[in-house]
Amino acid sequence: MRVLIVDDEPPARDKLRRWLAEQTDLSIVGECADGLEAAASITALTPDAVFLDIQMPGMSGLEVAAQLESAHAPLIVFVTAFDEHAIKAFELNAVDYLLKPYDKDRLQKTLVRLRGRRSEAPEAGATAIHTARAQTGSSERLLVPKGEALQLIDASSIHWLEADDNYVHVHTAQARYMIRRTLADLLSQLGERFTRIHKSVAVNIAEVKSLSPLFKGDHEVHMRSGAVLRMSRRYKDELFGKMGA
Amino acid sequence: MRVNRALFGLWALFWALMIAVEVQDNHDATGIRWWEPFVWEGSSCLVATFWLLLERRVSTRWNEYLAEPWRWFAKHLLWMPVICVTFIISVYAIRLGVYSLTSETYEHEPWSFIFFYESLKLVLFAGLWLGIIFGLESFKRWKLEREKLLTLQKHLAESQLAQLKAQLQPHFLFNTLNTISSLMQVDVERADRLLTRLADLLRSSLQASARDLTSLREELKLLGLYAEIMQERFAGRVTIGWNIASDANEAQVPAMLLQPLLENAFKHGVERSRDPVSIRITAETRGEELHVTITNSGSSLPEAPSDGIGMRNCRERLEVMYGARARLDLVHEGDGVAAKLTLPVKPA
Repeated sequence: MRVLIVDDEPPARDKLRRWLAEQTDLSIVGECADGLEAAASITALTPDAVFLDIQMPGMSGLEVAAQLESAHAPLIVFVTAFDEHAIKAFELNAVDYLLKPYDKDRLQKTLVRLRGRRSEAPEAGATAIHTARAQTGSSERLLVPKGEALQLIDASSIHWLEADDNYVHVHTAQARYMIRRTLADLLSQLGERFTRIHKSVAVNIAEVKSLSPLFKGDHEVHMRSGAVLRMSRRYKDELFGKMGA
Repeated sequence: MRVNRALFGLWALFWALMIAVEVQDNHDATGIRWWEPFVWEGSSCLVATFWLLLERRVSTRWNEYLAEPWRWFAKHLLWMPVICVTFIISVYAIRLGVYSLTSETYEHEPWSFIFFYESLKLVLFAGLWLGIIFGLESFKRWKLEREKLLTLQKHLAESQLAQLKAQLQPHFLFNTLNTISSLMQVDVERADRLLTRLADLLRSSLQASARDLTSLREELKLLGLYAEIMQERFAGRVTIGWNIASDANEAQVPAMLLQPLLENAFKHGVERSRDPVSIRITAETRGEELHVTITNSGSSLPEAPSDGIGMRNCRERLEVMYGARARLDLVHEGDGVAAKLTLPVKPA
C-alpha cells in the first residue's frame, strides 16, 4: 500500500514516518507540510492512503479532502489533536481518524482497518470526501492546475463549467482550466452557487444575464461575459427555481 | 427616555397647579375676565417650556460635570441673564399681543419693577427645576454605573473561568503531547525537557488567578517556556527575537496576561503561513508606562476584527485592574500584526 503523510508539524511527521516504515506492506511515497502541497501530491502521486492532518496553514485537511474527486479518492485517515465537530462526523460516517497523541497500538488498529477497507470497501474514500465536504460547506475556492502546480481560484470567479469526457473545463473571465473531475462531483463540492443547464454544462447563477426561449421549451442562456449557452428543457425548472423566477 | 418622561410629567403638573392657583386667586376679583389668568400663566408656561426643551437638547454635554454639582449648576446658571431678558420680553410681548386683540387693556406694574420681580422669580424657579433635573440625571447616572459595575463583575468571574480554559487550549496540549511522543523515540533527553516545560507551564496556569500580579521577569520566563515548546513543534517555521530593556524587568504585570498574545501570534502567524515567520517580543518602560509589543510577520488583520477568547480575556482583565490607564491595541506593522500593550508601571 502506497501512503502519503501530511502534517505541518515536523515532529508529527517524524513519528508517523518512523512507525509506518516498520510496516512491511507499506511504502511512503511522500510527505507534505501544508494543504496545497498535499492536494498536488495526491494528484501527482496517486497514493492508496493519506494520513491527513486537519489543522494546517493555507488549506485545512478537511478542505483538501473536499477538493478531491470522490470516485478516485485515496483512503483517508484524518489526524487531529482536537476537532469536536469533525470527530463526531467521522464517527457517524465511519470515516477513519487518528487522535493525537496516539500510541503504536492505536496506529496498528487504524492500519488493520485501512487494509480491510482497501480490499472490501473501496467506496470508503468517497465517504471520507463527502464527510469532509459536509464539514466545510460549499467550497469558496477551487483547486485548478496551473502548469505543473496547483492554484486556488475563487468559486465566485467561475462563469461556467463544461464536461468533456473525463475532464471539466472551468471558464473564468481570464482563463480556462481543465481538471480531471466529473461534473457531478464538482457540483457536489461547489454547492448551490452553480446549476446544471445541460447534461454537460453548469453555470454560475450570478453570471447569468438573460434567457431567451427557443423552440420546444429549450432556452438560450446569455452570460454576462457574452457567452451564449444552450439550456435543455429538462433543466429549465431547476434554473428558474434557483433564479427565483 | 425615562428622565424626560418624569421631568415633563412634573412640569405639566407644576403648570397645571400654577394656572389653577392663578384662576382661584382671581375668581372673585372684579374687572378681571375669566380668560385673563390663562393668558398670564399660559404665556409664562409657553416661554418657560421653550427654555426647558432647549436645556434638554444642550445639557447632555454638561453630563460629565454631574460628579461636580457646583460646576454643573454654574454651567447652567451662566445663562440666567440671557434667559431673564428674553423671558420677560417674550412673555410680555405675548400678553400685550393677546390683549391688543381684545377690548381689554393689560394693566401691569412699572417696567423697572417687573424686571426686578420677574428676574427674582425666574432665578428661584430655575434653581428649583435645575435641582430636579440634577436629581433625575444623577439618579440615572448612578443606575447606569451600578449596572456597568455588575456586568463588569460578572465578566470578571466568567473571564477567570475562560482564562483557565484558554490556557489549557486542548489543541496546544494534545499537539504538544504528540510532539513529545514523537521526540522520545529519538531523543529522550529532549523529550524529557519538553515534558518538563509543559508541566511548568500547566502549573503556572493553574496557579495564576485573574488578579495576581507578577514581575515582568517571571512573566517572560513563562512566555519563554511556551515559546520553546512552540519552536519545537514548528521547527524551522519560526524564529523568535527577544528585546527586553533591563529596567522593564521589575515592572508589575498581571500574571499570564502575555501568553494569549503570543499564542495569537502563533495561531494567526505561524500556523497559517507556509513561509517562515518571525516573532519579536519587546518590552521597555517610558516614563511611568510599560510598553510590551508582540509582533509577528506574515499575517494581516481582518477588515472587521473581532476578539477571540484570548484577546477578550486580556482586555477584560486590563479593564478591571487598570480601567482607562491600560491599553491593548492590534495594529498592522511591517508585513504582519503587532499586539501593543501599555500598562502603568505601578499597579495601583
